[in-house]
Amino acid sequence: MPELCYRVAWRRQQGEFQAGEAFASFAEAAAALWAWQPQSETSVPSAQNPACTNAVEIWCCRQGEEAGVAPRPQYRFIVYGKVGGGGGNGSEAAPWWGVGEAIKGLVELHRSGVIALQPGQRLRLCHREIFATSAGQKRKACAENIARMVFLAMSLMLVLPVAAILIYLIIKGWPALSISFLLENPQQRMTAGGIWAPLVGTFFLVLLSLLVAAPIGILAGVYLNEYARDNWLTRIINLGVVNLAGVPSIVHALFGVGVIMFLAELKRKYGVWVPFYDRCLLAASCTLAVMTLPVIITSTREALASVPMSFREACWNMGATRWQTIRTIVLPNSISGILTGVILQVSRAAGETAPILLTGAVFSVPVPDHGWRAFVPYGLHDRCMALSMHLYTISTQVVNVPEHVEYGTAVVLIGLVLVVNSVSIGLRVYLRLRKKW
Amino acid sequence: MKTQTEPSARLSSATAPSGLVQQSDVHISFRNVSVSYGPVMALREVNLEVCRGEILGIIGPANSGKSTLLKCINRTIDFVPNARVTGQVLIDGQDVLKLRNVYALRRRIGMVFPLPVGLPLSVYENVAYAPRRAGVRQRHELDAIVERCLRQAMLWDEVKERLDILGTKLSGGQQQRLTLARALSLDPEILCLDEFSIAIDPVTTMRIEDILRELKQQVTIVLVTNLVQQARRLADRTAFFMAGRLVEVGSTETIFEHPQCELTRRYVVGDFG
Amino acid sequence: MATNSGSQANQRASHFGRFVDRLRCGAAMAAEAAIEWTIRLCGWSAILFVFAIFFFVLREAAPVLFGKLDLVEFFTSTQWQPTSLVKPRYGALALIVGSLSVTGLAMLLAVPLGLGAAVYISEFCEGKVREVLKIVVELLAAIPSVVWGFIGLMVIGPLLMDLTGAEVGVNLLTGGVILALMSVPVIVSVGEDALKAVPDSYREAALALGASRWEIVYRVLFPAAKNGLLAAVLLGVGRAVGETMAVLMATGHAVQIPYSLVDPIRTLTATIAAELGEAVAGGPHYRVLFVVGLLLFIISFIVNLTADVVVKGIKGESRN
Repeated sequence: MPELCYRVAWRRQQGEFQAGEAFASFAEAAAALWAWQPQSETSVPSAQNPACTNAVEIWCCRQGEEAGVAPRPQYRFIVYGKVGGGGGNGSEAAPWWGVGEAIKGLVELHRSGVIALQPGQRLRLCHREIFATSAGQKRKACAENIARMVFLAMSLMLVLPVAAILIYLIIKGWPALSISFLLENPQQRMTAGGIWAPLVGTFFLVLLSLLVAAPIGILAGVYLNEYARDNWLTRIINLGVVNLAGVPSIVHALFGVGVIMFLAELKRKYGVWVPFYDRCLLAASCTLAVMTLPVIITSTREALASVPMSFREACWNMGATRWQTIRTIVLPNSISGILTGVILQVSRAAGETAPILLTGAVFSVPVPDHGWRAFVPYGLHDRCMALSMHLYTISTQVVNVPEHVEYGTAVVLIGLVLVVNSVSIGLRVYLRLRKKW
Repeated sequence: MKTQTEPSARLSSATAPSGLVQQSDVHISFRNVSVSYGPVMALREVNLEVCRGEILGIIGPANSGKSTLLKCINRTIDFVPNARVTGQVLIDGQDVLKLRNVYALRRRIGMVFPLPVGLPLSVYENVAYAPRRAGVRQRHELDAIVERCLRQAMLWDEVKERLDILGTKLSGGQQQRLTLARALSLDPEILCLDEFSIAIDPVTTMRIEDILRELKQQVTIVLVTNLVQQARRLADRTAFFMAGRLVEVGSTETIFEHPQCELTRRYVVGDFG
Repeated sequence: MATNSGSQANQRASHFGRFVDRLRCGAAMAAEAAIEWTIRLCGWSAILFVFAIFFFVLREAAPVLFGKLDLVEFFTSTQWQPTSLVKPRYGALALIVGSLSVTGLAMLLAVPLGLGAAVYISEFCEGKVREVLKIVVELLAAIPSVVWGFIGLMVIGPLLMDLTGAEVGVNLLTGGVILALMSVPVIVSVGEDALKAVPDSYREAALALGASRWEIVYRVLFPAAKNGLLAAVLLGVGRAVGETMAVLMATGHAVQIPYSLVDPIRTLTATIAAELGEAVAGGPHYRVLFVVGLLLFIISFIVNLTADVVVKGIKGESRN
């Protein structure tokens, strides 16, 4: 069996290891580490980075052969000059406190067989700075980076495909988009022309639903934040708001149809006046109003809650009633937050289809092209067209609609909703800059 | 442990030698008032009288019910969720706990809180707030009220050029004086101050103390304070509360020089609290 | 500024008189009470509308629900032939399975994506990037469902047809993908709120012990925010189950139990939307559709109730 020999090698910084003499025994090689012990602190083998820089190694190779060793050390021991006292076993948790200790420890470990260097293996001795990352920390940092990448990827997987889809829609719909597209009525059974009638219809639907939902929603928010006490009744009301927000949109349509039937029966049997008794603009708007009520309620509550309690107490102590306080201090200072909610309601109402599908919006209504009736084509009890419904119709019910008309309609609808939403978001950002207290 | 001085001679605005109280001078009267917040008793069987035109100092360690007492005077105890009040609080002989029109009551009483509060309105509107709610509409009347109150609160010179600045933008000391001006805007008969100086600088504190001394003749002042020396400087009579009970009440000189209760003596010398 | 106390008292008396007069005016007090009652009524409006929805849907469904409808057949049979002239059958099992399967698939895609994005926005990014991402999520939530249906029909459908060789583009997979994209914003915003609600002191304590941010997330935040995260998922489920237009346009019209991902299906919601327009008002088909609506209402009610209970925790459990 060829004799094993041990070489001592060292490197400065990140340089190459330079092998020195070969020794016949491990103990001699270890002893030779003394010779490498430098005079001053700064050139002590030290690790400044996760990878050791200055380091001393003992290589094992067959006698007569050139040193060819594994790229990574089999054994790694740490010297930490600043640790006081003895003890330590060269590990990261308990380093040797000096090169002398290190040598003694290495020899001991070799004698007891813990270190058994095979040819081609190396043993490294390096110095640990107090802030150097240990292997465990390196693993953690690695895991953290992986986690960060994964979560970033998840967020991008959400954002990028949608952005791509939207860009695709715009590209496909571009040929159709123009002012005349917006201002012309659909012609030739929807296969040509524009989207004026549905656009006007959506405008009125949204306006009416706003007029119904805003007062009720704002006052409900006022009640919940200013008057309601913290008891089970309030908890039930909160539950109601959340549930109303979660009711499927088609069930709102069924609710609308059910109310229409009920009112029609009332009118038929008892001859009382009812606000509506058939599918019409008013019925559809009311259904939309009920559906979007929770949005206004929640925004109003948040806006009111942001007004500090101390203002209200100051007013109450001056003899103002609750409503006077709300009217003069609380509402004026939360009007912008409330407006944000109202604008949000508008954008939701503009985009909804299911609630109006069965309660008032229809496939097609002849709308004049000119004159003032072109601007107010639908009476309260007329059926109407709506942009969202129009998109559904031309993409599923009508044949021979040019592709760019379909994509164009979709782009207009998205654009409308996104613009309104952006106004709401912009308002919120603007508010935060203009705080009065 | 509880002591009360006998009603006999008439009080004058200078410190009376014996702190005695005459019936015709009583402005506010607490009779067996107890307040509980749920299971916790905040005030127990308090019997106390406040005379017209005096400054009554109320001292005592934390949680002794001092703020609760003030809240009973202007019925803002109603806003505390589970507060229950028994007994009678008489103002000019009328039990305010049974009053239906609390708003009129609150307009007769001015309140200053520990933390300065400037309403998010202009300084002018801050002071004009209460008169407006009460029905004053004429511009010249409001102008007069605003100027009077700001002068009384020693804030006029600092804000007269910029009456439209937002109340919330003033400094802490200015906001506290603004609160005082608001409290005075309806010409109250009673002024309650709840530890008004804890959040403001000593200079403003001194100025407000001067204001209180001047106001004393027109307004009955109930001053809750945790600064014993403040009570000594300002109050005509002082009441010492502890753990919801009225321990001792008497003229300031008596309470501070020769208190009848050991607890009182220990508190005023600073042994605890 | 000492004034004569006599004239001051007179002044006060006159002020006093005027103020008290105004308030003694019964009309003013009555107006105040009327306003308060209006506000109270509006406050109850949300719960009133929930009851109203239940009532009116039940009213239309009642004659058939308590009458001729065989509930066993309704829930167990896949034969949905309401327009048959010979023998109309109302087996909704295929529809129920359709709804559940498309929701399940959507959640499979949306929950990891949504929670991952929520964690990223809440823990791993700062300042401007966070603002931008939050705005993007909000805008995503704003896209109307008919537009999503359109995208499913015209864009995702053909894409999946190319990728998987399916025969039709409108199927379970397309519907699942579209629903996932629609539910993710809900999960992200509610989940992010839940993570933000965990007090900073938890994070700081973990940092002091040497934890990395990833460790903080899965060892500290997930357990602490699990109620809120579960609620986020439930609300996402609620959104997906109740979605109408997108599934109407993107999942096809076949009333069948899907055996592969690319089978066309029909959901409960789409069935109502597609068939109610043609059903005879007051007829059995019409009323059975209302029964389906009732079923949807109950499902979403239970999901929302569970989400609320989960968020509040069981009474007595200690919260942050």
